[in-house]
Amino acid sequence: MTTPLAVTRIAHASQLIAIGELRILTDPWFTQTATYYHGEPVARAVESLGPIDAIVISHEHYDHCDLDALVAGGLDRSTPLFGPGTVTALAAAKGFTNLHTVEAWESARVGELTVTATPGQHGVPEVTFVISAHGRSVFFGGDSLRVPELDEIPERLGPIDLAILPTNGLCIRPAGLAQVVMDAEQAAELTAVLQPALAIPHHYAFHSGFLGDRMITRADQNPRHFTAALALIAPEIASRIVLPGVEVSVP
Amino acid sequence: MSTPIPAGSLRPTRTSTISLAGADVLLADRDRSRPFLLLHGGGGAATMAGFADLLAERTHSRVLLPTHPGFGGTNRPDALATTKDLAATYIALLDAFELSDVTLIGNSFGGWVAAEIALLGSPRVSGAVIVDGIGIEVADHPVTSVSGLTPAELAQLSFHDPTRAPRPPAGGGPGPSPDVQALIGYAGPTMSDPTLAGRLGAVELPVQVIWGESDGIVSPDYGRAYADALPHSTLTVLPRTGHLPQVETPEELLGAILDH
Repeated sequence: MTTPLAVTRIAHASQLIAIGELRILTDPWFTQTATYYHGEPVARAVESLGPIDAIVISHEHYDHCDLDALVAGGLDRSTPLFGPGTVTALAAAKGFTNLHTVEAWESARVGELTVTATPGQHGVPEVTFVISAHGRSVFFGGDSLRVPELDEIPERLGPIDLAILPTNGLCIRPAGLAQVVMDAEQAAELTAVLQPALAIPHHYAFHSGFLGDRMITRADQNPRHFTAALALIAPEIASRIVLPGVEVSVP
Repeated sequence: MSTPIPAGSLRPTRTSTISLAGADVLLADRDRSRPFLLLHGGGGAATMAGFADLLAERTHSRVLLPTHPGFGGTNRPDALATTKDLAATYIALLDAFELSDVTLIGNSFGGWVAAEIALLGSPRVSGAVIVDGIGIEVADHPVTSVSGLTPAELAQLSFHDPTRAPRPPAGGGPGPSPDVQALIGYAGPTMSDPTLAGRLGAVELPVQVIWGESDGIVSPDYGRAYADALPHSTLTVLPRTGHLPQVETPEELLGAILDH
């Protein structure tokens, strides 16, 4: 029998992935500042996450690695935490004790769960992940650019059931509009390579405030650009735009 | 970066029961209308009122325009002694209204107030627009004193084209003029704080500095120094515009903010 696979988007790139009884939290972000807004509700507070078996974190940026909020919310710091060395070093400093450093194409296993870091690029060290257990696999794209090496995932790691991809094509204005996140078309192209049963966009509602959107960041806030691009490139792949807090089961 | 606070806590959904003609309606109210806080200069709230309407109508935003206590015949309590005190009062206003992602727009003295608010690091304030602001001290570019000027002299300094200045009322009287006493009450006789330029280096918010090319109160070079003192800033110079862009060229000011 196939193990049930479900995902609940909490907000931004924070996802609660359930593979059978295993519950995995990705890229936690539960707070806000003057220039970092989710642009959507945050569906869960740390205190109401329930049992978490693993945390995976793609890179150290505040809106993906809000470790202070996890600590403030009372999350058990012996929970296994997977990420690149930049993240596990931060986590160690915050008192997390069960750390698994994975750089691109490295894997770590805790019980039935295997977390493989896959390549990423974002301006600071970033990895993406293939999260696998009980014969189910999830690709988690964090907020990476589309790098060509990601196309090797099916060959190296086998089929993907669920792909979660960033789509806002974020550009940094003071850096000459340097692009640091894949855009909707690039995400659709990667999805076509990964051939998941279901693709879910994330990392698109975020904004930097009224002036920040004009002076710091530029981003595409419309997730339908991804679903439309995917419908053109790979109409056989199902996609779904999910409001925060809605649980989606993956066939 | 301001200190992180729980997401969604600044501007929560308000749920209440409203009684209407005998029916009790349980209502959840989510308000994400974009808030602006307008901060007027020495001429008082009247110098901002027209632009407040333009901004609210054109952008469908919520525009707050307080009269600084002490201006327009209002009372200024002793506790409100300095520009910093005024800034703290406006943070309290934003707290009371439960707003977030607030953009400050301050002209002249109001630009100084905006800078002081930005320095307080409230998570409710996401950016500031400083329009022909005063407050810093710039070598060789002093702030022109407005004390004792005739309305005609003041118009000459404040407008690119003085014929665009608001006219005195038909029935006589002095007409629009800066409330110099109220202004000096906050700003001091030099209308500047020698520590401000150095302190602006700590502002983490994006700040758009906008300056009238023909400003005779504080020159465009002074504006450039203002922008240079702010780590995350841009400078936009408006042509054929003086010290009060929101009065003289309001559409150009709005365009500079919206099209940035």
